[in-house]
Amino acid sequence: MQQMTRRTPPQPLTINISKDAAEHVRQFAAQAGKPDSNLRVGVKGGGCSGLTYVLDLVDGPGDNDKTVEEHGIELYVDKKSYVFLAGTVLEYSGGLNGKGFVFNNPNARTTCGCGTSFSV
Amino acid sequence: MSTSAQAEAIPASYTSLREEYDALTGAVGLVRRSHVGRLELTGEDALDLLNRLSTNKLEDLTPGAGMGSVLTSAKGRIVDLLLVLMLEDRLLLLVGPDARERVAEWIDFYTFVEDVTVRDVTPDTAMFSLVGPGAVALVEELVGESVATMPSYGVQSASLGGVNVTVVREDFGALPGFDVIASAEDGERLWRYLVERTSGDGARPVGSLALETVRVEQGVPAPGLELSEDYNPLEAGLLEHISFNKGCYIGQEVIARLDTYKKVSKYLVGLSWHGQDLPPAGASLTVDGKRSGVVTSAVSSERLGRGIGLGYVRKAHAEPGSTLTLEQDGAEVEVRVEPLPFR
Repeated sequence: MQQMTRRTPPQPLTINISKDAAEHVRQFAAQAGKPDSNLRVGVKGGGCSGLTYVLDLVDGPGDNDKTVEEHGIELYVDKKSYVFLAGTVLEYSGGLNGKGFVFNNPNARTTCGCGTSFSV
Repeated sequence: MSTSAQAEAIPASYTSLREEYDALTGAVGLVRRSHVGRLELTGEDALDLLNRLSTNKLEDLTPGAGMGSVLTSAKGRIVDLLLVLMLEDRLLLLVGPDARERVAEWIDFYTFVEDVTVRDVTPDTAMFSLVGPGAVALVEELVGESVATMPSYGVQSASLGGVNVTVVREDFGALPGFDVIASAEDGERLWRYLVERTSGDGARPVGSLALETVRVEQGVPAPGLELSEDYNPLEAGLLEHISFNKGCYIGQEVIARLDTYKKVSKYLVGLSWHGQDLPPAGASLTVDGKRSGVVTSAVSSERLGRGIGLGYVRKAHAEPGSTLTLEQDGAEVEVRVEPLPFR
């Protein structure tokens, strides 16, 4: 007789933003005079390694965007970028030696020297 | 007309290798080149996207102008050498004959939210080239002075024998040259018109044998032979198609590092040897028994009275006058590095 096993469905990959990064998005939005705006994250072709990250303050999602909400910030991601960003945590590296917003992307196989582009 | 049919329509020779060689180097050679890939890019982000994917500063292009630009991998290797032509409402890309699908897929892969559409117009169009010292005068006679005096990679619409064409200034090494592109249905009518108008004065249709001989003599790298992912644009001598101050593009970091730290390890060079036997593409060249290069193209040059070729040779042996050894049929043949173009 076939044994029944209970399988745990895999956790869907999503995009997360750290609390610190979310606070900095709020600060930048206020400084830009757009306190109610949210964040578009994405990927575009280019940069030394092939793909480069996109980060923009926007008013709302595009027609085909996925929306993720965390720490009071809505992240909008187009579907093709999502494929390359699933599992990413957007963090903030502050201080004098800080890099600003950092994409910790598990899909990135290599990154370029300055860290703004990656390949998968 | 299918592309394979177009490729098959290029004979090895129409009359004789000698006559056709003389036409290319002393008058005008008329060449069927419909097998060259032609991609059309539309959308307001097309130029910006291509600028991010390739080596040259394409953002400086204005309608009527063109540039060579190398599509490079993240490792800085050559995916293809593109000729990017800016028309009024779209970009026309001339790409390697076997690279059409790859280049279209490459551009499509890197298109995210941009407004860019790629269309392969190769089957819908026909392309011929007029190459040789008399090409400028001939184009001036047939189409007019403004087209004949276009700068390199300039592009204009024109009428030729009642056919609407796009004319591109694309030299063949040091030889002046023009590409003429028409709709596929007008292609044969245009070819017959060009043959008729170019007959006499040493001008004539040229087949693949004479064209290949002149290509090697002129040191023009060919897709799939000298231009492939085995090599980077610095090794291939494509400096005129690289901007070193445009900012990031795919492969830029590797290419900038190779250039800054003088780390280019091999160069595309001319090769010559006595005898008319031709080594196969991929034949190894050695120095003191150690591999130091590879032959990528080989032809027999009647004018120079010897075998000549192109190949990649390690930096230490790439200076003209260096000698390497080619093993052929059990015998060792001395191969000399020559300056390009061959004189």
